[in-house]
Amino acid sequence: MLFEFDPDQRLWQGSVREVVAKECPPALVRAVADDGADTVALWKVYAGLGWTELTDPAEAVELAIVLEELGRATDPTPYLATMTQFAPLAPGAGEPERTGAAVLDGVTARRDGRGWVLEGTARHVLDGDRADRLAVVTGEGVFVVDAAEVTATRAAVFDPVLHVADVAFGGVRVGQEQRTGADPGRARHIALAGMAMTMVGACRRILDLTLEHVRTRHQFGAPIGSFQAVQHKAADMHVAVERAKALAYFAALTIAADDPRRRVAAAMAKAAAGECQSLVVRHGLQLFGAMGFTWENDLQFALKRALAGEQLLGGAAEHRALIAKECHAVEL
Amino acid sequence: MQLSFDAEVEDFRAEFAAFLDEHLPPAAEADRASQSSSDVPEWARRWQRLQFDHGWLLPGNPPEYGGRDATLVQQYVHLLELSRRRIYHSFNPQGVGIVAASLLSFGTEEQKRRWAVPILRAEITASLGMSEPGAGSDLASLRTRAVLDGDHFVVNGQKVWTSGAHDADVLLTFVRTDPDAPKHKGISVLLIPTATPGVTRRPFASIIGSHDVDFNEVFFEDVRVPAANLVGPLNEGWRVANGSLGHERTLLWLSFGERLDEFIRDFEPAGPLDEDAYATAVLDAYALRLLGSAALAQAARGEQDVAGLSVLKLLGSEAAQRALERALSSAGPDGLAHPALTAPYTHLQSETMLGSWFERYARSFAGTIAGGTSEIQRTIVAERVLGLPRR
Repeated sequence: MLFEFDPDQRLWQGSVREVVAKECPPALVRAVADDGADTVALWKVYAGLGWTELTDPAEAVELAIVLEELGRATDPTPYLATMTQFAPLAPGAGEPERTGAAVLDGVTARRDGRGWVLEGTARHVLDGDRADRLAVVTGEGVFVVDAAEVTATRAAVFDPVLHVADVAFGGVRVGQEQRTGADPGRARHIALAGMAMTMVGACRRILDLTLEHVRTRHQFGAPIGSFQAVQHKAADMHVAVERAKALAYFAALTIAADDPRRRVAAAMAKAAAGECQSLVVRHGLQLFGAMGFTWENDLQFALKRALAGEQLLGGAAEHRALIAKECHAVEL
Repeated sequence: MQLSFDAEVEDFRAEFAAFLDEHLPPAAEADRASQSSSDVPEWARRWQRLQFDHGWLLPGNPPEYGGRDATLVQQYVHLLELSRRRIYHSFNPQGVGIVAASLLSFGTEEQKRRWAVPILRAEITASLGMSEPGAGSDLASLRTRAVLDGDHFVVNGQKVWTSGAHDADVLLTFVRTDPDAPKHKGISVLLIPTATPGVTRRPFASIIGSHDVDFNEVFFEDVRVPAANLVGPLNEGWRVANGSLGHERTLLWLSFGERLDEFIRDFEPAGPLDEDAYATAVLDAYALRLLGSAALAQAARGEQDVAGLSVLKLLGSEAAQRALERALSSAGPDGLAHPALTAPYTHLQSETMLGSWFERYARSFAGTIAGGTSEIQRTIVAERVLGLPRR
């Protein structure tokens, strides 16, 4: 195989970058973190550009390109949850201007007359407190529920821009028409690849900020980026980002092609993203020195987004365990 | 982005596969194994010549030089197919891949006829004389001198780490021809037949074991070399070095991919810690292939990114080393076996790469040291890819 963007994809990446630079600048992320600024307007920009319509798995690479850039910008909207967690579980849900989240476990469905009753509390639901709709995975199938039907409580988390919530289902009645028929296993591949791509974007941002810092920060009469101890850490960060990025796009490509390797590729993407953030967060924060250890420095946003990604949908070690069991040759 | 090659590339691969199926020399023909990187047994010479004659030795070359004008992507699948089957197309890899390639790029027509074709046809073998005791990572500081005296150069000095020199017929030797020029500017390249009076080769064993003899010290004492053996213009040797090694570098990462593939096929994880390390190697192997193929596609468009290749070397060589260390550790007391007793004999591959985990681990340092150490690669990535300031 030959692994590079085709001209259309390069063009797409360029236009996505332009939009993100203009519409989701660091100042906006800072305003969300410090003042709780509203993100609805930004969401409407994405929807207006058609980005929320990229739900056909055949467009997984184009979606991945958006996610990488949004990961880089620490996107404060529910785009990741809507596009990579809700949408794959709710194919044909329509209404691309509405947000969504996914409830992956903790909820049971009990048969009741013609429908079901959903019970239980799901923890750590990404954007569970602000999504318009929820796709709920149960033993009886996947149901789409309006957010007004549940009680969601946003949890306090270390990433100040991330929304994570506990979502309680106190006997929510659902009917057959709310059952989606989606395969949660396949949906999970998209969720994993999406989270990996987000982490790769965040890690690229950490690297960019770190490079800028070591080029301009002088000590001992020289930019610290001219010291080999610093240079070599930066080089390792770059290698880690390139490695994770390649595997994240490979996962997107297997999803787009509905290739049988998609399951392992998604696990590889998430594992590599986890390994990447481990090194990039560690070296990035270290190279920034005390200046990175402040609330004031924007480094914190990308850094926390990368770290938060590792906590969700299984960490690197969990995915490596699956890879070791299923991979016995390089099939490329 | 695409998951498969275009049909014309797959056709090319199928044609090569059919050639291999029909012509691979059977094990019974292979009466002797290669002992060094310039020692090519008779049966392996016939095998290399057969590939040359059918245009499969270096498919990117024109037919008169053992190829078929293949594209870069076709050359890639050719190497993938060899790697998949664990086949060496030549047991004189530097002779074919670097020495002959340099001659085809920089040599005269006479040099191509007299030296390159015989090397490619395995009539003679060649080694590469670059490193010196005082010129390793800082190759341009080399001091072996060549002084023009009439129609001959007179060479004095010493090379070291010259793989296979004791079995080679000729050495492609980097020498200083202008001691007054800045160090990158005064270097030239000479073909020095090893039978020339004044050439002394002293092979020495590697860390693998006293039986593993590939490296040489090569001493030159008033060695008279015909001026016609100058490769490329006088004092332009640095350009030849970059050109000949540059070609090699585009696909060098594949060899680390092979080491990783072999590990993935051969290592059987014995518990969760093994499995964890195994999975990391799988990630490394996939990422290397993906990034390597992206670099290849870029090079095929004529946008070779030489500094970017350092990322591949760094990733591949260090990943292989980490994996092999784990495999050795996991082997327990069985891992103690003497390397001379462990390599399975597979006639079509340099079997040293398939020896004990100790041997494979120890050899992995060739990847992190030769061809620019990992430290040099990191500096290249930092300064030339990431744009950090130089000291």
